[in-house]
Amino acid sequence: MLVVHEFSIADALAAQILRRAPAGRRVREVEIRVGALRGLEPEAMKMCWEAVTHDTALAGSVLVMDMRPWSLACPACGRVWESPVPFAECSCGEVSPRPTAGDELDLVSMTVDDDDDEVGATAGGAPTTGVEAEAR
Amino acid sequence: MSDSAKSTRIPLVERVLEANDQLAETVRADLERRGIFAVDIIGAPGSGKTALLEATLRALKGRRHPAVLVGDLATRRDGDRLARWCDQVVQISTGQGCHLEAGQVRDALAQVDLSRVDLLLIENVGNLICPVGFDLGQAAKVGVFAVTDGDDKAAKHPYLVQAADVLLLNKIDLLPYVPFDRSVFEADVRLLNPTVPILDVSSTTGAGLDAWVEWLERGAATPR
Repeated sequence: MLVVHEFSIADALAAQILRRAPAGRRVREVEIRVGALRGLEPEAMKMCWEAVTHDTALAGSVLVMDMRPWSLACPACGRVWESPVPFAECSCGEVSPRPTAGDELDLVSMTVDDDDDEVGATAGGAPTTGVEAEAR
Repeated sequence: MSDSAKSTRIPLVERVLEANDQLAETVRADLERRGIFAVDIIGAPGSGKTALLEATLRALKGRRHPAVLVGDLATRRDGDRLARWCDQVVQISTGQGCHLEAGQVRDALAQVDLSRVDLLLIENVGNLICPVGFDLGQAAKVGVFAVTDGDDKAAKHPYLVQAADVLLLNKIDLLPYVPFDRSVFEADVRLLNPTVPILDVSSTTGAGLDAWVEWLERGAATPR
């Protein structure tokens, strides 16, 4: 087992999706939103997702990450812009723009195959509660 | 089955660590009801968390009734060291876990006589990244940096700097001997967190410990 930052989060996410997924429906895609403060590396996260799901019902599912950037505000010229890193110079030459970012780590959606395919080994389970489904 | 099989996108509104967060809220409510001030102490391996706790427990003797939870991947050494200064120490062996989680804290607290406690010190696993994102039910987060780690550590760990209620700059007695520019460290901290107190401390010489203990005492005395 890898001891990396992303592993425990991928592990928690997989357990959560397995609880949430409608019975007997193959999960194709899981989408999360990640604030820059979390410091999650998308590539490491994807590797961990494959590792924690490979022998589960989530095997083969794709993890989609909406990575929210840092917001930098320049104290000299007032410019505000988005950046993948917290420390960057402003185009006006100011070296210390103020970085802010969110720490959200939110489940956004999961995409599941519709009911009538061959994966439905445990079909007929109760629908997921507390969510609204929309057809694609 | 082909890739064109029909699928349905199900929007979800919940946090990824919802299960941990809910446990943490339960722990927090229990600690608050009992009037216990709980701090989660986060720092890199070797930043001196355990030595700092030893010095802190010494200073608190007769002033507060602390309990200590200490997380480690393996060994009971930290717990054994701290047990010399405090009669309620629980070692949490996390095995391969690189951080503590709320369920481990809840289980460890079941081994503590909380009726005799007014301050809970939680030493997290040595790690500047993972522990920050896992709520344990604490009232405050404490970030520990050591001058021996380099003055770029705050800039490289923005989540801890942003989330911390107080930062301890440890091993300050070694400042003359290491290439650590305190003004660089402080400037990075201030960009990320304009208001967090930075306390220079040394558990070896005792420098700055008064201010740190006073910060703990103020927290413990604040009604919740």
